[in-house]
Amino acid sequence: MKNPEKIKVLYVDDEVNNLIGFKASFRMNFNILTAQNNEEALAHLNVNPDIRLIFSDQRMPDKTGVEFFESIRTNFPKPIRILITGYTDVEAVIDAINLGNVFRYVKKPWSEADILTAISQGNKFYVANMLMETKNAELQVAYDELDKFAYSVTHDMRNPLLSILGAVNISNDIDDLAQIKEMLQLIKESVGNLDAYIQNIHDYYNVNRGQLRISELNFEDIVKEQLESFRLTAKIKRVNIDTNIVQNETFRGDAMSMKIILNNLLSNAFKYQKKDSHQKNVEVSITVDSGELIMIIRDNGIGISGTHIGDIFNMFFRATSQDVGSGFGLYNVKDALIKLNGEIKVDSVLNEGTTFTVKIKNK
Amino acid sequence: MPSPKPDFILVDDSRLDCLISQKVIKNTSKHATVQSFNEASLALEFITNRIQEPDHDLTIIFLDIQMPVMNGFDFAASFEKLSETIQALYAIFMLSSSTNESDRIRIGNYSCIKHFYIKPLTREIVQEVINTSCKD
Repeated sequence: MKNPEKIKVLYVDDEVNNLIGFKASFRMNFNILTAQNNEEALAHLNVNPDIRLIFSDQRMPDKTGVEFFESIRTNFPKPIRILITGYTDVEAVIDAINLGNVFRYVKKPWSEADILTAISQGNKFYVANMLMETKNAELQVAYDELDKFAYSVTHDMRNPLLSILGAVNISNDIDDLAQIKEMLQLIKESVGNLDAYIQNIHDYYNVNRGQLRISELNFEDIVKEQLESFRLTAKIKRVNIDTNIVQNETFRGDAMSMKIILNNLLSNAFKYQKKDSHQKNVEVSITVDSGELIMIIRDNGIGISGTHIGDIFNMFFRATSQDVGSGFGLYNVKDALIKLNGEIKVDSVLNEGTTFTVKIKNK
Repeated sequence: MPSPKPDFILVDDSRLDCLISQKVIKNTSKHATVQSFNEASLALEFITNRIQEPDHDLTIIFLDIQMPVMNGFDFAASFEKLSETIQALYAIFMLSSSTNESDRIRIGNYSCIKHFYIKPLTREIVQEVINTSCKD
């Protein structure tokens, strides 16, 4: 019976007796695969990407152990390589280290203790390598985001400032008070844009680096609080708001993430309405039942075209130039949901509207 | 000196920046006409279908870089695919808040872009552009 917890070890030796002996000694504690030649060894490596250690005899008819290790270095760099040999030839040792990138050297005939130490130390090395690889991948993602970030900061933060500068420059040439007031209004808008952008960065940081704080959530209150900030927009743009909240049980979740999700989805629903429509609707429906939250935000606005819908959750992507946006909102929503193990689905028809469906399990 | 009547087209997704640029242009040259497009594709459509007498002064385009859907570079690439006769009627200037080196380098790939200016648009820039693009 295979135990998935056991460390996978491949042993390559042309003498069948050695293979049997090795397997008999260690199969209780490790998952031992054996191979009599290069070909069999490669077959094992191809179907078992999780092999952590390879022991190979040095003296074999088709290839030496060092040659075998050298040949698999490029395609299978992860397993730790250990050479077993009766030789004490210095040249072979040098080759083993330089060409075969061998981690350890076990003398023949081996003792159980030698092999156990080799496996234990090799495994530690393997785990450390894997950990580093994961960390490196995470770092790469962080660096890539930082690059995008730096670019966006120069654009999205400078742009409102430069608009203000432009408005101030014009005002210097104007004597008419009414026109100056118009400029002041523009400056105010620009300040608003910059502030919204900074708020987005703050959300981004909270989602990415902040800790989840799980508490009991009351969705009547949360929706009420979030909608409050859109009341004025709704009034000016004449948007009807429908809410339908059914909370059958206590829901435990992170209030901050929930607010970020709701706020961004609502903000989009109000923003991307059809300007000349007489029947603008935003619908919020929340159901907490059977250990799951289902949140549906629906609008009958401009919709998203099929060519853009795959990109809307990407950082800084914007599918329309209607209204101001940073290309940050849905990215933050998606990020928050990844952290909460939740999911989001979007259905949209151009010129008919968009529906976002969010599902989160009760903690 | 006879006052020229330059035509301007602004391509910028920020309505605010269009408004500011429009004011600056009007303050610099009273007889200037200014048309703003918040979407680059609409500006391109306008240019493609516009009928203009060939003797007319060049129309000056101020083009933003970062715009959703079709950005400034996409616009320049599509513009360069238009007929030579249409292209000859326009002078394109990038106007962006970007201080990004890679953006500046990228501009070199588009021969239709005459120059790169950093926002905000000023009277000096407008005057300079008029001087280089208009016949008198």
